[in-house]
Amino acid sequence: MSIELLAPAGNLEKAKVALLYGADAVYVGGLHFSLRARASNFTTLMLEELVEFAHQRNKKVYVTTNIVVHDEDLVGLDEYLLKLERIHVDAIICTSFAIIERAKQLTNLEIHLSTQFSVTNSKLADYFYDEGIRRVVLGRECTIKEIKEIQTHTKADLEVFIHGGMCVSYSGRCTLSNYMVGRDANRGGCAHSCRWLYDLYDRDELLSHEHDFQMSSKDLEVIEFIPELIDIGVASLKIEGRMKSIHYIATVVLAYRMLIDDYQSGNLKDLDFYQSEIKKAENRLTSTGFLGGEPGVDQQLYNYRSEQPTQEFIALVQDYDEANQLALIEQRNHFTLGDEIEVVSPDKTFHHLKITELYDEDKQPIDVARHPLQKLYINMPHPVKPYDMIRRVR
Amino acid sequence: MQFVARLKTASEIETLHQLGVDVFSVDTKLAIHKLMENQSSDIEAIAKIANSLGRKVYLNINKMIHEEDLGSLQVLLEDAKRIGIDSIVINDMTVYVIAKQLGLESKIIYQPGTMNTDSYSVEYFQNHPIKGITLSREITLNEIRKIAGKAHDLELSLIGHGYLDMFYSKRKLLTNYFKHKNIIGREITNKHSYRLNEEIRADDFYPIIEDEFGTHVFRSRKLITFQELETLEPVLSDFFLERLFLEDEEYYDSIRLYKGVITEEEFLGKYSGYESGFYYLPTELIKGDSNVD
Repeated sequence: MSIELLAPAGNLEKAKVALLYGADAVYVGGLHFSLRARASNFTTLMLEELVEFAHQRNKKVYVTTNIVVHDEDLVGLDEYLLKLERIHVDAIICTSFAIIERAKQLTNLEIHLSTQFSVTNSKLADYFYDEGIRRVVLGRECTIKEIKEIQTHTKADLEVFIHGGMCVSYSGRCTLSNYMVGRDANRGGCAHSCRWLYDLYDRDELLSHEHDFQMSSKDLEVIEFIPELIDIGVASLKIEGRMKSIHYIATVVLAYRMLIDDYQSGNLKDLDFYQSEIKKAENRLTSTGFLGGEPGVDQQLYNYRSEQPTQEFIALVQDYDEANQLALIEQRNHFTLGDEIEVVSPDKTFHHLKITELYDEDKQPIDVARHPLQKLYINMPHPVKPYDMIRRVR
Repeated sequence: MQFVARLKTASEIETLHQLGVDVFSVDTKLAIHKLMENQSSDIEAIAKIANSLGRKVYLNINKMIHEEDLGSLQVLLEDAKRIGIDSIVINDMTVYVIAKQLGLESKIIYQPGTMNTDSYSVEYFQNHPIKGITLSREITLNEIRKIAGKAHDLELSLIGHGYLDMFYSKRKLLTNYFKHKNIIGREITNKHSYRLNEEIRADDFYPIIEDEFGTHVFRSRKLITFQELETLEPVLSDFFLERLFLEDEEYYDSIRLYKGVITEEEFLGKYSGYESGFYYLPTELIKGDSNVD
């Protein structure tokens, strides 16, 4: 079985881009029953369009229905599950027994158990498999050694997080946000109270300095463990980040796609190559989380500062005029004539060039691309396709 | 309804018995933020005394179970079966899975803190029989009433008093912070005097404990359920009183309060920092996001 690369998507465009750039499947949130409220905006029509887009490419769509439900949340559940089945989503990702059992009773939807349940051993994975849950998303507290042990002993397919933000608590066991701001962390309202700044006291003695105690961890990035995860035989490698930008998703997905394909074809490059690809879009400090063992001080985030991605996303290709060697693009960030750019394509090709011609939509020459979503033309000596990304090289 | 109190030492059994405690909650080596570490022989001795007094013993096996814990969990449960423990309080359903293999599922109380928020949790465990479930910490009194209406062959319980935990990380957050700050020589593990204070919540101090299994953060104020007890008593089988961070005297007075030995006025005149938690305070659903899928 070939390993799946699973990507997040907060909207339809991101989902399509993730699939084009190498994800085998995407997970998205519908309007109901999904954590990550702000990124859960897929209407049934949008889901339908996405499923069709994915299935045409032999790829999959999973829908998160992973809130920890209260009775009042269950209104409309039956209709929603039936709709998801009707439009042929490939699986739902669940936490609550209420949703799991109802989906089993009403539909033939494949069910994946969310990391909210924090499964960290093979006995529990097997229990859920016997209960009709085909895949378990492991807790992010598992080391590579544990993942190997679990995979050896369980019948369930395993999904493992490989990249992105992490709950510092066991997922689904945290009510910091509930208590501190009245927002339910397990129903899509997490306020990220674990990322706030605290002072630490021992009785009345202040031990910290200007609220420099933090619980936050660095984001996950496990490039170095991908070959081992493939060898172990886990079913799916999951990227976190339904709130992330289109550029971030495309870049991270493509980097892991190249790594997986290169390893499986025996052409693995130095791992720095894949890491430098990710850094073109990554603006957070990263670490290997629990995969390398119990996280120490280097895995924590103190005195947080944003990292500068090494490249800046400036436009998305919409069309190509081969006769005039011009690309029609949509502006996503300010750029100017003379900028050095990199054009990256889902087929893993990269081209570098300098912008020497820049025109507005009416093909009038301009010097600066100022307006978001403005349609523009730039010189492009080699053919490009819709959804190719253009980055400014810093 | 039985009152369940955490036992600090075996020598305290008589005191708690005299106060009217029905059940002694006893930590095991697979318990988080434990008050005492008990070997099987200790547990056996405690059970013998408790049973002779007509009292029960519940075992806490509430750490998240990793692959490496499976062996010790099996041994612990076999010991529990041999000793004849009355109940086993769990946070991770793995304990239920192994207990079921040993025919111990009827002893299990599922107490995950956050997951038992709806009527269907009751239905699920009626179909997968266990002794009972502890209702989640963040639900309202109305929700408790609704869930109770659905519970027939399943006992419901509540942690109704004391400092409730709200965060459980496998990371050693205090150890890491002290390393980061190059602070050496401080006692860390199981020390109960550390507090966090968030930068814009000046009056709130959140107790934080690091133990061998990770880090635990607690609410800044203590839960009290005295006013609600009349409503809850008919629907609850067990009422747990959390003991962490309370002096013995305050803990004993807490038991006296619920047993009607002292009044709420007397109790709150003597001790401060209590609140009614989420009983009247539904949480908002939507506004943020989280790193879970």
